[in-house]
Amino acid sequence: MSGSERSDAEAVLRVEGLRKRWPDGRVVLDGIDLEVRRADVVVLLGPNGCGKSTLLRCLNLLEGYQEGRVLLCGAEVSRGSAQGHAPTRDEQRAVARLRQRIGMVFQQFNLFPHLDALGNVAMGPRHVLGLPRPEAERVARDALRRVGLEDRAHDVPGALSGGQQQRVAIARALAMGPELMLFDEPTSALDPVLVREVFRVMRSLAFDDGMTMLVVTHDLDFAREVADRVLFLDAGRVAVAGTPAEVFASDDPRVRAFLRDDAERR
Amino acid sequence: MARLRTPPALALPLALLLAIASCARHGGAVAAGVSGGMPAWEPVEPLAFDAPPGTALRRVLDAGVLRWGCDPAGGAPFALPAPWDPRELVGFEIELVARLCDHLGVRSEPVAGDWLALIDNLRAGRTDLVLNGLEVTPERAEVVDFTVPYYRYGQQLTVRDADRGRFASLADLRGHRISVLNGSASVDVLTGAGWAEEDIAQYEDSLTPYAELKNGRVDGSLAESIIAGYYAPGVGGLHNVPGTFSPGVYAGAVRKGDAALRDAIDAALRRMMERGELGRIYQRWGVWTDAQRELGTVRGPDVARIDLAAVDAATGLDWGAVLAELARATAVTVLLTAISMPLAVLLGLVLALMDRSRRRVLSWPARAYVQVVRGTPILVQIFLVYYSLPMLGQVLGLGDALVWPALVVGIVCLAGNYAAYEAEIHRAGLEAVPKGQREAAWSLGLSQRQTLWLVELPQSFRIILPPLVNDLVAMIKDTSLVYVIGVRELTSVALGIGKSRLIVPEMLVVAAGFYLVVSLAADAFGRRIAARLRRAGLPRPALAAHATHRSAP
Repeated sequence: MSGSERSDAEAVLRVEGLRKRWPDGRVVLDGIDLEVRRADVVVLLGPNGCGKSTLLRCLNLLEGYQEGRVLLCGAEVSRGSAQGHAPTRDEQRAVARLRQRIGMVFQQFNLFPHLDALGNVAMGPRHVLGLPRPEAERVARDALRRVGLEDRAHDVPGALSGGQQQRVAIARALAMGPELMLFDEPTSALDPVLVREVFRVMRSLAFDDGMTMLVVTHDLDFAREVADRVLFLDAGRVAVAGTPAEVFASDDPRVRAFLRDDAERR
Repeated sequence: MARLRTPPALALPLALLLAIASCARHGGAVAAGVSGGMPAWEPVEPLAFDAPPGTALRRVLDAGVLRWGCDPAGGAPFALPAPWDPRELVGFEIELVARLCDHLGVRSEPVAGDWLALIDNLRAGRTDLVLNGLEVTPERAEVVDFTVPYYRYGQQLTVRDADRGRFASLADLRGHRISVLNGSASVDVLTGAGWAEEDIAQYEDSLTPYAELKNGRVDGSLAESIIAGYYAPGVGGLHNVPGTFSPGVYAGAVRKGDAALRDAIDAALRRMMERGELGRIYQRWGVWTDAQRELGTVRGPDVARIDLAAVDAATGLDWGAVLAELARATAVTVLLTAISMPLAVLLGLVLALMDRSRRRVLSWPARAYVQVVRGTPILVQIFLVYYSLPMLGQVLGLGDALVWPALVVGIVCLAGNYAAYEAEIHRAGLEAVPKGQREAAWSLGLSQRQTLWLVELPQSFRIILPPLVNDLVAMIKDTSLVYVIGVRELTSVALGIGKSRLIVPEMLVVAAGFYLVVSLAADAFGRRIAARLRRAGLPRPALAAHATHRSAP
């Protein structure tokens, strides 16, 4: 699958002029525009505190925002309830429906520790999609197979390695059949030796399944290898955008500084 | 996390308890022997009354039972657990009311309650009569209607044998501390004679004033002659100073306005006085004095005296019967806890969820409830619910709707009180579940409610189980507080037996042993659940620490 083929596809996600302030008034997102087309892999890069994780969390309304529009498959998403007001039941339902369509993978995995891998992955199909238990578990086993952990279905998270836990978390998101998957620094909490197995799963999702993905990461190799587009964020704005090759070759001083720091960290 | 061993000993304490409980009461023969010493009263034609509908008398006659208040812990020889069977009440007032009821044509049903609260119980509608050494005073006459007096008492002073020469009258004890029964007329006598409040040591029961005298914490003890005559000799080493003073009378009390009931009781009492029945009861219990004639009581023919101390000496203590009774009382204690604690945990969860709500109409009442309940003594709460709620119900026109049985009040109070603490535990438990758990659940599209029940509560419950078990063990012992409203649980039964037999320290040790056994069983139960949950996976606290330092933008 080549990049040009993908760019002709519809926009799964479009963000227009997204602005967010923290309650104390600091601006964290200062007018973000971006588009993710079907089967695209978009990587968000940028220094700590540039707002890339917050952007991701805004997309499935774990955070609210004040201005701008988010469109999922062309339909506008509510920006969430205003500060300090309890959301109405209808608002809550609308948000829950949105989240069903967007998978999210967290830096800290956030697996449910009281359930085994199968229970974790079956949670969404069973309780959100309302599938009967055997059906939900079949879906869950399929998802676990896609991340290569079918044989660990009955292990609790505490019995799994970090890399395995993150793969279960990916399966948990996959089991909902999402149109878009958000990855929030999925390998930052992992030992370097475990990072590869997670990236291998993500690469397979991108190349074999054509999953639409928006990935926040510090891993430049992953960006180079898998991303269709890279957005470089700085101070709540998109500083540089383009193909990986374009962005890594950019002479923008902020990108240069970031790449230099990254090289030093290694 | 250290693996905790599943305690194999869970069944042991329970088995022990059951074994004791099932231990047959072989005191039956003894009881029959002594009871046989009490002559049965000849049948009597009940008095005829004009009882208008809606009066207390009408209710009593229709129900065929007179519920009347007394305090078995107050002691001999008024009303006390029978030495031969702690479940049976005996005493001259028990026999008096039983015979009184013969004349009324109804059955006597003594209702146990704390002596100082007998009048509250009467006004709350739990009883229709109080007859338990209640001295007629102007203060009491303002809140109840008194029947004709049935007994004339005098104050009697008691000192240590060694002080016989030093203290021959109350005047000799000026400046010394004196022990009395809390709230009795003796307090007024001492106050009237110029004693300062700090020199009057008041105790909740009849026995302790004499024990304190013997121990040397006070130098004299003042009580009505009946009490002195029974308890001082039992404690030993004490001397009742001959002669009584500051006479007064005991009378029954009914609610203000229950005139028909009072008149009926008056008629029955007068009949008993004239027929010599009252005199015979007094002789039998060793409380006859010639002063009784002043009230119109006829002495009647001589009858044999019941000597409780002699019964003790003759039969010894039937430990089988005592332990069986304690085991029964332990069952009440266990029942109270087993019902109250789950209720407390549930109500606590509701409170914690209300507290968490963004809606103030929910969060403020929850917070206020927790603060008020935690900030006031449980003993006060029990009294309020038991005595004040019924009066509130009457004021609000709810009738008897708020007059709950003592056991229900006990459960309501224990559950309601502990709920405030469990709410804080639930709150802490829910806060201890990492924020990422909620976000992961939301990201899947789970609703707030599903997130709570499927993700947060299963984890917080594992976290809060140890403090919950801790409170369970604490509650087992706090159930002893409901003895103040007459629930026959372990402490009250142990004290009742102890006081009637003058073996309070021994009974307290035995009761403590019972509490220990139940507490150990509860703890083992809690550990077992914890171990089972642990096998099913536990949240790792380390995750919580990580999740909080997520990169701030």
